[in-house]
Amino acid sequence: MIDLQGYGPRLIEGAGVTVQLAVLSLILAIILGLLTASAKMSRNWLLRRTATVYTTLIRGVPDLVLMMLLFFGGQIGVNAISDMLYYNYDIDIYINFNAFAAGVLTIGFIFGAYMGETFRGAFMAVDNGQIEAGKAYGMSNGLVFRRIRFPQMMRHALPGLSNNWMVLLKTTALVSVIGLTDMVRVAAEASRATHEPFTFLLPVAVVYLLIASVSEWIFARLQKHYDIGFGGQ
Amino acid sequence: MAATPTPLEVRNIKKRFGDTEVLKGLSLQAQKGDVITLIGASGSGKSTFLRCMNLLEQPDDGDLIVHGEPIRFKTTRHGREPEDWKQVVQMRAKLSMVFQSFNLWAHMTLLENIIEAPIHVLKKPKKEALEHAHALLDRVGLTARANAYPAQMSGGQQQRGAIARALAMDPEVMLFDEPTSALDPELVGDVLKVMHGLAEEGRTMVVVTHEMGFARDVSSQVIYLHQGLVEEAGPPEQVLGNPQSSRLQQFLAPKY
Repeated sequence: MIDLQGYGPRLIEGAGVTVQLAVLSLILAIILGLLTASAKMSRNWLLRRTATVYTTLIRGVPDLVLMMLLFFGGQIGVNAISDMLYYNYDIDIYINFNAFAAGVLTIGFIFGAYMGETFRGAFMAVDNGQIEAGKAYGMSNGLVFRRIRFPQMMRHALPGLSNNWMVLLKTTALVSVIGLTDMVRVAAEASRATHEPFTFLLPVAVVYLLIASVSEWIFARLQKHYDIGFGGQ
Repeated sequence: MAATPTPLEVRNIKKRFGDTEVLKGLSLQAQKGDVITLIGASGSGKSTFLRCMNLLEQPDDGDLIVHGEPIRFKTTRHGREPEDWKQVVQMRAKLSMVFQSFNLWAHMTLLENIIEAPIHVLKKPKKEALEHAHALLDRVGLTARANAYPAQMSGGQQQRGAIARALAMDPEVMLFDEPTSALDPELVGDVLKVMHGLAEEGRTMVVVTHEMGFARDVSSQVIYLHQGLVEEAGPPEQVLGNPQSSRLQQFLAPKY
């Protein structure tokens, strides 16, 4: 058995941070992705434009740069606002820019752009006749989305979605730069202190692989579920 | 004044796609129990006209009155559109459409297809919707296929299933958009038989079709469209039996 030299509990805690961060970011990314896809398909010029700027910007700038920009920039922005409130209105608020929240927001924001493209393609792959049938039977737009568009879109979106998730999972390793103690950061610290990098980095790699394997299994189940009726049963 | 409001009335419907005016002012009135068939060459506008009746296409001009209630329109910079989409949604629930390509929802079984809108749109209790659905499946001869997905069914079965789905809404008017055009010839008969039965029991129907035999047998009125205008209209024995215009004569003449 590997001797983790007392870093075991912290590593486990770090793994917990990684998983929570990844899952919450994924949820945010999916919400942003659906909104972006809808905006891109909207007939409103401003919405389309905004969505395009968002995806172009995100896809063109490295994740690490974006993360630092959003975290430090966000902090400066919040401080500026609170200063302004204090000097002008005598309102004294103090906001500590929580590193975990910042991590979720940043990663969610970045991957929302990728999800947007995934979802847009998937929505366009749904046969229009299916949507029309929903409308013709008196379904509201919301009902058509919930009962027809979304379930039929998912089978097209899942391959891209699972791919994005794998990349997202690995991107969480970048959050150590904004001071969040995920398992990579714990392992890096421990390696430096003990001069035994493999002792700590190998288990970390294994944990990532484990999460990835579990996810693949979940995505395979989901794919099977959403393929029902399309010759996939 | 009739005791019950006219199920469906459309007046002076106009529609253009780009520079082409496809409907140049079409009107139609379906009284209870009427079977109105729309015939015409492809491009005559008959399908577009039908799709304007439940606003799957937005007419550029004209009135639409469903069960005595006129649909309100407004003009925006995107063109003319309904003022209140809630009203449109309610209106559509009174008209059921049967599509050329069936459009049964692919991710649901046939039974799920049939109970979907009654439960979620009409807010029927599930038990009641299921009972009705089983009766309808029996009627269209698909009891054995209740749990099949559309992809596992033949075209004829899908279309009969789609008719059951339409009937499940207890519609005021049924709209049929070339219901047999996508079927293999040997499957057409079963679908027509079901439609024949519906006409006999007094359903109000508007049918776009190329089946002249069906039009002759069941229509109360036949409307022949040419380039977005009514060329001839009247009872089938008149329009189909004694066509006036040379165009309709040619349209009805054997093609071989």
